Amino acid sequence: MLERRLVIVTGKGGVGKSAVAAALAVAARRQGKKVLAVSMVGPGDGLAAHLGTGRLAPEATELRPGLWALHIDRARALAEYLQSQMRLPAIATFGPVARAFDAFAAAAPAIREIVAIGKVLWEVRRGTWDIVVVDGPPTGQVGSYLRAAKTIEELVPAGRIADQAGWMDETLRDADHTSLALVTIPEELPTVESEALLGWLAREQVVGHHQIVANRVLDPLEVPATLPAGPAGDAARLHLALWEGQRSWLERLPADLELPYLFGLLTPAEVAARLADTWEAR
Amino acid sequence: MSTKALLVAGGGGVGKTTLSAALGVAAARRGVRTLVVTVDPAKRLADALGAASLGSEPQPLEDEPNLWAAMLDASASWEAIARRHADPAAADRLIANPFFHAATTQFPASQSYAAAEEAVTFIDARAWELVVVDTPPAAGGIDFFTAPKAITDLVGGRLLRWMTGGNLPGRRFLFDRTARPVLRIAGTVLGTQLLDQIAQFFMDLRTTYDGVRRRAKEIEAHLRSAHTIVVTTADPTPLREAVRFFRELPDVARRPEAVVFNRTLPESWIDADPGGLPEPLASNLRRWAAEAHRQQELRAEFASRYDTLLAVVPWQPEPPTDLDALERLVKASEGLEKLLSAPWA
Repeated sequence: MLERRLVIVTGKGGVGKSAVAAALAVAARRQGKKVLAVSMVGPGDGLAAHLGTGRLAPEATELRPGLWALHIDRARALAEYLQSQMRLPAIATFGPVARAFDAFAAAAPAIREIVAIGKVLWEVRRGTWDIVVVDGPPTGQVGSYLRAAKTIEELVPAGRIADQAGWMDETLRDADHTSLALVTIPEELPTVESEALLGWLAREQVVGHHQIVANRVLDPLEVPATLPAGPAGDAARLHLALWEGQRSWLERLPADLELPYLFGLLTPAEVAARLADTWEAR
Repeated sequence: MSTKALLVAGGGGVGKTTLSAALGVAAARRGVRTLVVTVDPAKRLADALGAASLGSEPQPLEDEPNLWAAMLDASASWEAIARRHADPAAADRLIANPFFHAATTQFPASQSYAAAEEAVTFIDARAWELVVVDTPPAAGGIDFFTAPKAITDLVGGRLLRWMTGGNLPGRRFLFDRTARPVLRIAGTVLGTQLLDQIAQFFMDLRTTYDGVRRRAKEIEAHLRSAHTIVVTTADPTPLREAVRFFRELPDVARRPEAVVFNRTLPESWIDADPGGLPEPLASNLRRWAAEAHRQQELRAEFASRYDTLLAVVPWQPEPPTDLDALERLVKASEGLEKLLSAPWA
């Protein structure tokens, strides 16, 4: 996965999507790559915490040597997009015109999405980074982002925006270039939601490559058949029952990579570092 | 019959649906005529609630005299809004507009709004003493409470005013692009065909405004008087959501009545002594004790910040598969029974 130029991380809310994105960025940096980590929707406070920083800026900022990060600010990305991609004069991209256009982009389908994914793809295209790791939208929304270029092509037969949609669509579908990391945990609802996304991906063919990353996977526990009374026995029983439940979901949806359940109090940055260790050990 | 509404809120994946059902079963078994409204339950839970016949119409549960269940289908929501509030010709035009489909599938508030609207219909029916509503986790939970306003804003909002310039002019005015530089730019970027569709969409949508606004106001009033409990686990993402509810809900509705920590490990594990135990029992106890400790710290931090009833539900490795198991979950909890006998419940 780290061999690609662009990795987009998605997953159901609460499965550890931002932690995995940060871990990927950390692992790539440890390999000596020049990495850009991007929070695609929202201010990216989760990604920031896992990268060991307070807030992400809307422009690429170096957090540690080789590790850069930014969050996509919609209004700003839109202005950039209108200038650089739509070749509109700068004057048209701020002030009342920009505010009106921003209101429009907030409601119009695929505009917000194409602006966000467009910004990501443009960063990839610039060639400044060895790898761009994206903390992407959750499973339920990622489809509209991945499909934005196609949607635009269908909705807008003419107009400059249609010209741009073409190369974006191609970059996403290039399997050597782009990968989607689908983060899940071995439980019923995340499994069902992941399967729904996988079905959608098979139908739409909008990304060239994807991988399933199972997070918070418990390790097997070998204990005697008769367990002692009290906390030690209870903890073993809980572990075994949870482990068994996880195995049945992993059988149903096998993962390309299993990341361990991390016990106890850890800071978000420690979580990312520990998960990056697993990546490295492969 | 006076109806109390209990809204069960919280981030995704914390067991909100299970706890809604569990509270519903426990209330019904105390003799309270109860309706549980769920959104997209996991299969085993749906089975427990008799999902074979579960639809958006409340169904009485077999052998459970006081319990009804309904499952919300919010997918057809926008079509329903259009059909309800626009005249038939405008509704047909709206639904046929390619922009309508694209815009509505991407407006998360619509699912929340549809769920809120349906839940309010059940509360208004006055057929139950208690309606427990499992809120959809769309895009950050609190959406459910702000959806009526978001919908009203979309239908009558600044985008429409921008495109049509205040009052509803004829299409002639709308397309006077030379007079509206923004539209000229939009036309260059998007192409005129899409712009025409968008304009038609908003003009038709505008005709629903009065109806939507009136209904949204009613829904808002209901949500404001309903009681909310927030479900979470001691994990960062759901906790952030829970904090958001406690911080932001008072602005739009009542302050939450309680926080429920699901999947809680026993506090007795924290100081349990692994000394003398063989491996791997000792190290397994140590790591789960660390986990129990982490949970306790996060609960304590929450409790110190928000003065509220705090309930804990033990971590069940197997999700409940029948009504008895759901009731046992309430009995095994600390605080949920108290919640059900609170004066507002």
